[in-house]
Amino acid sequence: MTGFDELEPQTPELVRPYVITKGRGLPDEEQLSLITLVTAAADHQQRPTRLSPEEQSLLELCSAGYLSVAEIAGHTRLPLGVVKILLAALTEGGYLITRPPVQRAPLADREILEEVLNGLRAKFG
Amino acid sequence: MTDYIQNPVLWALLVAVIVAVAVIVRQRRATRTLRQEFADLRDRHAELENGYAKSVEAAQERAEEATKTVLKSAMRTLQGLAAEQQLIVSRLQNKYGESVILQDLLEIDHTNSQFGRRAQSIAVLCDGWLGRQRDVASVYDVVRSAQGRIRHYRRVEILSQVDFGITSRAVEPVALALAELLDNATSYSSPDTVVEINIRTVPKGICIVVDDAGVGMNDEERARAEKLLSSERVSGVSGLGNPPQFGFAVIGVLAERFGFEVSVDSTSPYGGVRSVLLLPHDLLTSAPEQKEPAPVVPAAAPAPTHSGPEPASAASTTTADGLPKRRRKRPMAIVPGSASDAPTPARTGAETAAIMGAFQRGTRSGRATHADPAEQSSSTRGASSEGHEFS
Repeated sequence: MTGFDELEPQTPELVRPYVITKGRGLPDEEQLSLITLVTAAADHQQRPTRLSPEEQSLLELCSAGYLSVAEIAGHTRLPLGVVKILLAALTEGGYLITRPPVQRAPLADREILEEVLNGLRAKFG
Repeated sequence: MTDYIQNPVLWALLVAVIVAVAVIVRQRRATRTLRQEFADLRDRHAELENGYAKSVEAAQERAEEATKTVLKSAMRTLQGLAAEQQLIVSRLQNKYGESVILQDLLEIDHTNSQFGRRAQSIAVLCDGWLGRQRDVASVYDVVRSAQGRIRHYRRVEILSQVDFGITSRAVEPVALALAELLDNATSYSSPDTVVEINIRTVPKGICIVVDDAGVGMNDEERARAEKLLSSERVSGVSGLGNPPQFGFAVIGVLAERFGFEVSVDSTSPYGGVRSVLLLPHDLLTSAPEQKEPAPVVPAAAPAPTHSGPEPASAASTTTADGLPKRRRKRPMAIVPGSASDAPTPARTGAETAAIMGAFQRGTRSGRATHADPAEQSSSTRGASSEGHEFS
């Protein structure tokens, strides 16, 4: 027999994830990727009570500043896709603002840098 | 006179009369015995019939018991398997949460929940196992759990919430009974209508009101439903009709066993059926704490705890272990660039200008105090980077 501790987490969750998402589909990768940044919209004070507890907790989580989708998912117990669906729905409802991730700085062209350096040297050096 | 005596006709008549009397007497006697026998037979027949009915009843009962026992253990196996599968699906959902498989996993989960509920319903009718005991859950979560157990869960809308929880003993039965109500509501209304759930606080406890926009029930159906919901229903799985209609029978058994009330005798504002599930106070507790991940706890239940009863708000400051809880989330991520130079959409131009101005004044005053010419010449790198900001 296994110990009591191993038997303990054997109860499935009461509220299933598909109920939490209300059966909505996954958003596009362009709309919400793992590193998309999300924050609460400014006027979320008039938050309706119709939001589910999960949606409310996500809003609360996002109200402190920009967070990436991956981080938000890490702070909830829900599967990542479920969090994405909820975030997409909240964005559509106007409660959240998403921002594409910060672009990686493109590598500067070495020739241009050398030319600038030469020009500077010619002028000041 | 003697003529008469010698008249053979007289003798013949006499003989005839005597014979007739004898016959009549015998007939009478025979009739009496026959009647007696008949009465005896009737009694015997009644007795036999009675005995027959009794033995048939006993046989039926035995058969019913046997069916129940078989079904009960069969359902128990199925319920166990459904629960196990649900756990596996949950694990898969967490594992493949970021891939497109999730969509399919959610569908499997949905089908599995319905499967589990069917098995549970039959088990209830066989006085069987209801499933694992649950923790105390909020009324809202129990309603959502019920919602997830039916096919057309997307058509169900929960319009209100209350700050109450349901005791762990009653979580599963209430969810199952409500699922059966919702199943009826969605099955007997057209696919483009919405089934509304309102949760209301009433002096006797809490009412969960389910309104559908179906065609309603006729008198016969209503009578049947009321009979099944009342205590004089036939118990067991026989007599459910073909195809079997479990719904009301299951609800009736659960309501009686766990002490809540269900009525379906009113009409919804949309013309369909309004069913009301009344939870008395002894099945209710204060709203449970959200069992979401620990840091989110204060955030997870903002609405319920603020207006909720006192014990809930007192409980929310410490965890079950007595550890204090974090009040509010600080920004958890330092996102590159988001702090200063990325303008938040909410920031106006004037604000941005003010911030930039302050920054500029700061750098200027900093340089003014450290205007040491020797240092400036020695640290050319620092100077050049500052100059970049300054221009």
